[in-house]
Amino acid sequence: MRSPALAIGWEFRRRHRWGLMAVAGYLFVVAMIRFLILEPGEPVLVDSVRFAALVSVPLTTTFVYLLAVFSFGFAGDLAARHSMYPARMFTLPVTNAALVGWPMLYGTAAVTILWLAARLFAVWPSGIEIPVIWPALLAAALLAWTQALTWMPYGLPGMRLIVAVLCLAALDTVVLLALHFKAGEPRMVAILAPQVPLAYLVARFAVARARRGEVPDWRGMFARPANTAVLTRGRDYFPSPARAQAWFEWRRHGRSLPALVGLLLPFELALLWLAKDAPAFVFEILFLALITPPFMAACTAWTVSEPTPQVRDSYGVPPFIATRPLTSAELIAAKLKMAMWSTLAAWLLVLVAMTLALEWSGTWSVVTERARRTNDAIGTPRAATVVLLILAGFIVATWKQLVQSLHIGLTGREWIVKGSVLITLTLLILLGPIVEWIIDSPSVQRALWNALPLILGILVGIKMSAAAWIATRLDRSRLLGDRALVAGAACWVLAVLALYGVLVWFFSTPFVAHYQLALIAILAVPLARISAAPLALAWNRHR
Amino acid sequence: MSESVISVSELTRRFGAATALDSVSVSLPRLVGANGAGKTTLIRHVLGLLRAESGSVRVFGLDPVADPVAVLSRIGYLSEENDLPGWMRVDELMRYSRAFYPAWDDAYAEELRRTFALDRAATIKNLSKGQRARAGLLIALAYRPELLVLDEPSSGLDPIVRRDILGAVIRTIADEGRTVLFSSHLLNEVEEVADHVTMIDHGRVVLSAPLDAIKESHRSLNEAFIAHVGSAATPAAEA
Repeated sequence: MRSPALAIGWEFRRRHRWGLMAVAGYLFVVAMIRFLILEPGEPVLVDSVRFAALVSVPLTTTFVYLLAVFSFGFAGDLAARHSMYPARMFTLPVTNAALVGWPMLYGTAAVTILWLAARLFAVWPSGIEIPVIWPALLAAALLAWTQALTWMPYGLPGMRLIVAVLCLAALDTVVLLALHFKAGEPRMVAILAPQVPLAYLVARFAVARARRGEVPDWRGMFARPANTAVLTRGRDYFPSPARAQAWFEWRRHGRSLPALVGLLLPFELALLWLAKDAPAFVFEILFLALITPPFMAACTAWTVSEPTPQVRDSYGVPPFIATRPLTSAELIAAKLKMAMWSTLAAWLLVLVAMTLALEWSGTWSVVTERARRTNDAIGTPRAATVVLLILAGFIVATWKQLVQSLHIGLTGREWIVKGSVLITLTLLILLGPIVEWIIDSPSVQRALWNALPLILGILVGIKMSAAAWIATRLDRSRLLGDRALVAGAACWVLAVLALYGVLVWFFSTPFVAHYQLALIAILAVPLARISAAPLALAWNRHR
Repeated sequence: MSESVISVSELTRRFGAATALDSVSVSLPRLVGANGAGKTTLIRHVLGLLRAESGSVRVFGLDPVADPVAVLSRIGYLSEENDLPGWMRVDELMRYSRAFYPAWDDAYAEELRRTFALDRAATIKNLSKGQRARAGLLIALAYRPELLVLDEPSSGLDPIVRRDILGAVIRTIADEGRTVLFSSHLLNEVEEVADHVTMIDHGRVVLSAPLDAIKESHRSLNEAFIAHVGSAATPAAEA
C-alpha cells in the first residue's frame, strides 16, 4: 500500500467491514425480493408500514451508519470541544486537502452507491416517479456537512451537536420547501450541488485549525460570577468534600446548558418583533423558547458523564476523579446537584429573557389578554396551577434530560454507550412510521385506548421491578446505606403522591380512572435510571 | 515502615487473553518489574480502580473496592497519566483537594508550592509537564498521607523535576516514616529510596528480598533486574 488515499480507504474498509457487509447483505436481500419474488411488470402495492419496514427505515439507518463511519463518529466524542477528526492522523505526512478530501470522497461514493442501489433494487410502490440524481446529492451534501461540522473545534462542550442539528435541519428544510413548491430535478440539483464543495472548504478550514491545535475555549466567559457567587462564596474553603465535588462538576459541565440556551434565546425571541402583527405566532415563539432548555439539555447530557479527554481509556473514570475519597453515590450526588444548578440557571435566563423580550417587543399585551381569557374560562386557581405545572414540568424535564442517561455513560463500556445510541436512533427512526400508522388507523387508536391501563400497568411493573433490583444491588454493594435508601424511597413516594394529587384535582373527568392517573404519576417521577447511576459508576470505577 | 500496609494475596488479573497478574502474593511496597510486567495493574488494584478477579488486596487491612473512602483518604497518589483538570488554577486545585482530606496542612502545602515555584494564578493546562508533575505531587503530599503511591512520576521529566520528586519521596520516608510505593524506569533512583525489593515479570513474582541482600548477590539492582527479568526488557522499577 504505497498511497495515502489507499491507506485511508483501507482503514475505513478494515474497521467497518462487518457493518459494510451487513449493508451489502441488506441490498442483496431487497434485490432478491425485487427480482425473484415479484413478477416482472407486476404492479407493486405496498402500504406505508411495509414500505417503512422494507425500505425507508433500513435505508435511513444505513445512511446514519455511513454518516458515523465517514465522519469518524464511532471514534470521536460528539460532545467534546476538540475536533472529532482523529488526532493521530494529523501527524501523517499528507496535506489538509488529502486528510479532508479522501474521507469525503469515499463517503460521497458510499452514499451515492447506497442511493443508486436502493433505487435500482428496492421495492418502490408503483406509480411513483423516483428521482435519480438529487437524492444522491442530498445524501452527499448531508454527509459533507456532517463531516465539516463534526471535524470543527468548538468553544463550548455540546455546541457541535447543536450546530450540526441546526445546520442539517436547515438544509432539510430547504429541500422540503423546494419539494413543496414542486421544484424539478434540475432545480434540486442546482440547490444541492454547490453544498458539497462548500462543505469541503469548511471541513478543510476545520481540519487545518484542529491540526494546528486551535481549539477555542469560551467556558471562561461564564466561569467567574457563577463560580464565586453560587458555590464557593469568594475565596473561602469548601465546607465539605460534597461541596467541593459539586463545584468541580459545575465548573466542568454546569455552565454548558445556560451558555447554549443563552446563545439561542436571542435569535428565538427576536422573532417576537416580527410577530407583533400576528398574535398567533407569539405563543409559538414562546413555546419554542420554552422547549429550548430541555432540548439543549438532551444535547449536552452526554457531557455530564463525559470522562476527561486526555485519559487513555476514553470511557473510563479519570484516575483524578476515581481516587477522590468519596463513594460512588457521593460522586453521583454532585452530578445531580450540578444538573439542578445548571437547570435553574438556564431557566432563570429563559424567564428573564422572555419577560424582557415580551415587554420590549410590545407583545406583552397578547400574553396578558390570553391569560385573562383563561382566567375567565377556568378560574384563577386552575389557571395559575396550569401555568405553574407547565413551568415545573419544563424545568423537571430539563433536569431529567441532563441526568437520565448517566447510567449509560458512566458504565464506561463502549459497547453499552454505542449500543444505546444505536437503539435510540433506531427508535427515533421507527417512531415516525408508528405514529403515522396510529394516526391513519382508528381501529388501532381504539385498541390502544382500551389497552391503555394494561400498557401503563406493564410499564409500571417493569419500572418497579427494575427499581427493586437496583435497590437490592445498591444495598448489597453498600453503595447506599439503609437510611439513604429509605429516605430516597420516601422522597420518591412523596413526589408521586403530590403529582397524583395535582392530576386528580386537575383531570376530574369520568373518562380517566384515578388508578390510571396514579400509574401515570409513578411513570412520570424518575426512579430506576437515576438510581442505577451509582451502580454504573461503581462498575466503571472499580473494574 | 509497616510491612502490612499493602497486602496482596493470590491476585490474578486478565485483560482478555492477556494475563497481567498471575497469582501474585506480595507485601508491598517495594517492587521492580519490566514494562508490561503488571506494575500499573497492581497499583490500580491497590487504589481500588481494579477489582480483584481472584485473590485479595488489602490496604491498611481494608478492601479498597468495598471501602474506597477509608482507603483513599489515607493514600496520596500521583498518576502516571497526570490527568489534573487543565481548566483549574493552582490555587483552585489546592482549595478543591483540601476539602477531601481533614489532615490537609495549609502551611506545608504553601511551603511545597513555594518550593516548587508554582504560581497560584497559573492554569494547570498552561503549566509545563514538569510543573504539572509538581502540582500533582503537591496535592499528593500536602495532607501527609500514610501511603504515597507514585506511578512512574518521573517519566519524561527533566532531571530537576525528577530531583524534586525524589527529594519529596526521601523526605516522606526519612522524616515522616511513611510508606511509599514508587514506580520508576530509573533503577538508580529506586536504589536511593528502596529498602526491600520485589521483582515481577509477566505477572509473576520472580524475586523478593531486601535491597542490601540483592546488592550483595548481584552488586546492583540493574544486574539483579537483568538476571531475573532478562536483558531484553526495559528496566522499570517500583520501590
